[in-house]
Amino acid sequence: MSLASVAPRHGPNRWSRLNRLVRPYLYILPAIATFVIWIYEPLARAFVLSFQQWNLMPTAPRRWVGLENYENILALPRFWQALENTGLYLLGLLPMAVLLPLAIAIFTQDLSGRTRNLYRALIFVPMIVPPVVAAAVWRWMLDPHNGIVNGAIGALGGDPVRFLSDPHLALWTITFITGWKLMGFSTLVLSAANASIDGSLIEAARLDGASTWEIVRDIRLPLLSPAILLLVLMVILLGAQWSFSYIHVLTEGGPLGSTTNIYYLLWQFGFGSLSVGWSSASAVILFVGFSLIAALLFWLKAKLSFHDD
Amino acid sequence: MKPIVVSAALAGLTLGAAQAQTMPAEITEPVTITWYNYNLASAGNGADATRHLIDLFEAAHPNIHVEGVPVPPQNITTRVQADLVAGQQVDLVQVTFNALGFAAEALGAHALEDIVPAAELAANFEGMVQNGLDLGRIDGRTYALAYTFSTPVLYYNADIFRQVGLDPENPPQTWAQIAEAGRVIRDHSDHIPLASGMFGPSAGDWLMQGVLRSNNGGVINADRTAMTFADPASLEAVQMLRDLAQEGILVNLDVTSQLESMAAGNAAMYLQTSAVQGYLIRGAEGNYDLRATTMPGFGDLRPRPNNSGSGLAIFSQDPARQRAAWELMKFVTSNEGYTIITRDIGYLPLRMAVVESPEYLAGWVSEHPLLQPNLQQLSYLEPWTPMPGPNYVQIATTMMDAIEMAVFGDNDDVAGILTAAQTQTQGLLP
Repeated sequence: MSLASVAPRHGPNRWSRLNRLVRPYLYILPAIATFVIWIYEPLARAFVLSFQQWNLMPTAPRRWVGLENYENILALPRFWQALENTGLYLLGLLPMAVLLPLAIAIFTQDLSGRTRNLYRALIFVPMIVPPVVAAAVWRWMLDPHNGIVNGAIGALGGDPVRFLSDPHLALWTITFITGWKLMGFSTLVLSAANASIDGSLIEAARLDGASTWEIVRDIRLPLLSPAILLLVLMVILLGAQWSFSYIHVLTEGGPLGSTTNIYYLLWQFGFGSLSVGWSSASAVILFVGFSLIAALLFWLKAKLSFHDD
Repeated sequence: MKPIVVSAALAGLTLGAAQAQTMPAEITEPVTITWYNYNLASAGNGADATRHLIDLFEAAHPNIHVEGVPVPPQNITTRVQADLVAGQQVDLVQVTFNALGFAAEALGAHALEDIVPAAELAANFEGMVQNGLDLGRIDGRTYALAYTFSTPVLYYNADIFRQVGLDPENPPQTWAQIAEAGRVIRDHSDHIPLASGMFGPSAGDWLMQGVLRSNNGGVINADRTAMTFADPASLEAVQMLRDLAQEGILVNLDVTSQLESMAAGNAAMYLQTSAVQGYLIRGAEGNYDLRATTMPGFGDLRPRPNNSGSGLAIFSQDPARQRAAWELMKFVTSNEGYTIITRDIGYLPLRMAVVESPEYLAGWVSEHPLLQPNLQQLSYLEPWTPMPGPNYVQIATTMMDAIEMAVFGDNDDVAGILTAAQTQTQGLLP
């Protein structure tokens, strides 16, 4: 009897507790499901496929080959060349995508409103040019025979420079184009961060007799550090991908493989031959490598960032 | 009831199997076939002529409707593969010869000997160039019927030859003569001495195969079990190319720049497929005197060019569609078909009657002498050997990367580079 009278009271209680417990998970379920379906499940599949030899044909057998795909890729001189090139791309991109925009953002800060906007708009324009169009324009400008750049070099008495067909130059040419394209974006991010710095801090420093350089070094740079580190992180993790369209349109990885990078190689494995084992294996290598780098960078970012709280 | 169903199903199976062996003698019901074709994908070059061929064929075979599927040549195997995976109907495919092995072994192209009645096959092969037919064969079985094809020829700019004191009536016939002429051109003009289509991602290994073979070397042995591009004769040929590059005679530019240099009159010699003839003629018109000669050889050895181009392969499972595809194949490779293909697209005819008979193109050929070296090479053309197994693309890519590095790179150890790559590609063979 007493049990019966107690039960209805317990019911809603237990329900509401369960409800409280489960509800948050229900809210994030769609997000988790999307992650699982579109990221983790394919990732797991790529991992499995990297140990198989298969050409995507349902009629073709999937053959387990163990580590053979990895061995083949690691034995490929072009793989190591691509890895080295990826490092060179990042090395070349950092000054163009971080240092130069930082300087531009800081120095244009003191310009008057209209000039500053015009200046920044000019820098931002390359960002909105479609990559393939930009690549085609650069190809014309850099042409050894009819290009405007070599025209200028010729007028100054120099020999034509083979910007895209000299194996020692081509990578830097593509790095420059990628950086030129990125500069607007970085400048925008850093200008916004710079503008949000509390003016009273700078005012106070001025009253204390700090020079412009001292203000930049001791106030602006520390307060800009989260934005700078974010850009460094983005360039390192994504920079090599951003050069993909320029590599594809301008050099297709040549001459002598000097402009290929790890993403371009991956794409060539995957779509040049539909060899799903090779491309999955290189994707796994890439995933593991960049996960480690990303972990390191996030640790650095947390350690080095300075927040004005 | 059950036994009847089972036996009916069994009967159906055996019937199906029997039909797969023999296609019907004629098409009585309307049927639609797909034709994966790369000429259809190139706006100005061959699309109109191919559509014209289809129209003529449909007019002659009212029961057969041909649906053209335009696909760029470098994507044709991946596209066919993707469509087969997706369960699309794939009937007739214009296959490039380097993908022939893959089409036959992995994609399931039919050997014509399996599906076409022997007498009919023999009758259609009658009058076709034997070397051409061999291009589409693997182990003696015809997986693709040679369709459009071209050979490597040495184009040269006769104006530049005259300007530097070379005789345009006696163009170089050997690599040694190319080196000799190249030195003169290098020393007495600003023009590129020798451009070529040997290297680059879209070039593949087709031109290199012929160059190595001409020195009695080769990229792979006859039964395709061992890579041979680092063997002495092949090595010697690659070393010769490196010497040309070191001397500043052979240039390393991307494929498009080389083609444009020749078309614009900036290059003196250009070794490339005859399929670019139309493009070069347009560039040369009113600009310079464009001529062509056969591919160069080594010393007294006869040059051994291989083709670039395509064959037609049947993928249909259904006997009626196999018959329809075979009818289309017969039509486009007939005298009438090749008349259109040679005149309007610029490929070589696979039936000599087309260029010999005034009824077809004899008159046209005599007005277009650039076609001559191309025609001459038809009689000693050799197949473009496809690399075997599922890693066929990687084998060719790794090999060509190494050869390009050996010819143009900073490292003088040609033998070392080639041997390392040969060992590595050997491991990728099935």
